[in-house]
Amino acid sequence: MIPSTEAAIPEPTEDVRLSPPVHEVGPVEWARLNLFSSWFNTVLTVVFGILFSWLAYRAARFVVVTAEWEIVRRNLTNFMVGRFDRTQLWRPWVAAGVLALTGGVVAGAMGRVSAELAAQQDRTQPKVTLAGYIQRFWPLIIMVLFVLSMTRTIWPTILTALVLAVGLAGRRVGTALPPAARRLTWLYAVVGLIVAVQVLVAFGGVGWGGWGGVHINVFVTVVGIVLAFPLGMLLALGRRSSLPVVRWVSVAYIEFFRGVPLLALLLVAQFVVQFFLPPTIAAPSFLMRALIVIVLFESAYIAEIVRGGLQSIGRGQIEAAQALGMSPWATTRRIVLPQALRAVIPAMVGQFISLFQDTSLLYVLGFFELLAVGQNVTSQTDFVGQGLQAVTLPFVAFIFWAISYSMSRESRRLETRLGIGVR
Amino acid sequence: MTDSTGNLTSAALVAGGTGEAMITLEGVEKWFGDFAALAGVDLVVGRQEVVVVIGPSGSGKSTLIRCINRLEKHDRGRIVVDDTEMSDDLRNIAEIRRETGMVFQSFNLFPHLTVLENITLAPRQVRRQSKLDADAVGMELLERVKIPEQAHKYPGQLSGGQQQRVAIARALAMQPKVMLFDEPTSALDPEMVAEVLDAMKELARTGMTMIVVTHEMGFAREVADRVVFMADGEIVEVGTPQHFFDTPQEERTKLFLAQIL
Repeated sequence: MIPSTEAAIPEPTEDVRLSPPVHEVGPVEWARLNLFSSWFNTVLTVVFGILFSWLAYRAARFVVVTAEWEIVRRNLTNFMVGRFDRTQLWRPWVAAGVLALTGGVVAGAMGRVSAELAAQQDRTQPKVTLAGYIQRFWPLIIMVLFVLSMTRTIWPTILTALVLAVGLAGRRVGTALPPAARRLTWLYAVVGLIVAVQVLVAFGGVGWGGWGGVHINVFVTVVGIVLAFPLGMLLALGRRSSLPVVRWVSVAYIEFFRGVPLLALLLVAQFVVQFFLPPTIAAPSFLMRALIVIVLFESAYIAEIVRGGLQSIGRGQIEAAQALGMSPWATTRRIVLPQALRAVIPAMVGQFISLFQDTSLLYVLGFFELLAVGQNVTSQTDFVGQGLQAVTLPFVAFIFWAISYSMSRESRRLETRLGIGVR
Repeated sequence: MTDSTGNLTSAALVAGGTGEAMITLEGVEKWFGDFAALAGVDLVVGRQEVVVVIGPSGSGKSTLIRCINRLEKHDRGRIVVDDTEMSDDLRNIAEIRRETGMVFQSFNLFPHLTVLENITLAPRQVRRQSKLDADAVGMELLERVKIPEQAHKYPGQLSGGQQQRVAIARALAMQPKVMLFDEPTSALDPEMVAEVLDAMKELARTGMTMIVVTHEMGFAREVADRVVFMADGEIVEVGTPQHFFDTPQEERTKLFLAQIL
């Protein structure tokens, strides 16, 4: 069968095969390439190296030696929950547990869904490990550890561990859910939020008026996002509607709320609203008014962000859906919105972070939120006139930073995950 | 459709295939401002017939098939698809779109959905099929276009030829009576053209009514029942592939064929 001439041709051996070139750069080589590549770079490296070392040293010295943390230790509960009734402190803990459970279930269910998709596509997904969690949540972990280091009894540490344990248990439940129940994650999140709020206020609990500290900042942020996001989405769709009236109303709304500073709107809500309401109608509580204003304001910004995303969707996508006979509503919901929202995750999370920061404006309206606590505790008799803002304000800033930066990190993670297979 | 011989009109108006009309176009006009993209087109496509539309760019080929499923609204004339006359009534348009599948030059797959989800979305949304049924049909169609192993990947992970075959499967999932192809191989790398054309030939063999806008003359010669040549928004010449490629009558057709062959 085989002609004899072919026998002379040698078989290719294994080592002939091509392999990609190896680029391994040792630390010394890396430093030479990146830090000392020219005399100018060397000067920059040295100058900034000295500057950053000095700053790091001062910061470390401040945290460990100089700072009088006594004011934070004594007021830790104020920083966390403000004037919340001290006999009712079990409520925030239980609410935290409820949220941890919800978060765990949602994370478990979503993790299972993406794991199964990965299996179908023959992708291997990185295993969930403790190191992975630490890498993912390190800003929050540092914040919690730092706060716990300020406590005077062991109880907060034990309770924090308990809340974490509940969260992990929830994750197991979420993973074990049957497929049909796994798709309802958004429902669990909403129910979890409502239950957590009820735990705080129901049956002799503490109403919104008695809330404060970082708790109120987070609460206003979460409620603000949950309500402003759908409203903003509707406004964005309304702005692109083919119905002129819907379009005009949306444009007018968006441009009005984007044109007025949030602080001005908040002041109007607090001090002007009652003049416009007939005396028979009681004005809503102060926090409710602030929330309404924040939702109205944020939704206008969110609408513009979503509109940017909507415009990035090519005409071909809509035509493909139309050609398949899909209704305009189904096309919007299943084709346009999912892609549009994906495209604007960075801008959207940026807006959410800015909303979180803006909750400090509640200070001006007399709310006892985190920044206000940081300011007010320096007037306590034991601490007054000692310039202790130098301690409390960095602490407040640190908490704002840890939460904001975590949001930003989670958004980047979400982007990479949703980006799979999308060009 | 001014034709000196008088043969053209009859050739365009006699349905091929089974002889029953599936699509009827009468004096269809489409204007973009002052520009007549379609300057009065008459054409009857029969059941199970494969009509290939060719012509220079800007001749109105794409506009023609985009009018058939109302991606473009025609300005004058009548369009009848499977005995349903196109009107401005939304239900009417939806009805026609359900019966016509379309494959685009640039695929237009939904990048955020897996291949299988791309195929099953419309059957589930529009035809209200259960996930189980839709998935089964979807896998069957993927077998037919020979890429069942890609079912759970995203379009971005597939080659152009594979994406276009998914697009064909997606259109077929709605069980259309007519398939419209708008230059389905023009955006493909040369080595991928054959796999898409093979899928289309296979479809033609099953008796699907097809209108194909393409520059693939080999495909036209092999598969078409009739070839329609368009220029300047008009149908210039209609005939069987043999007639069309071997003994074209019109000067414009001859010129075009000389340029591309």
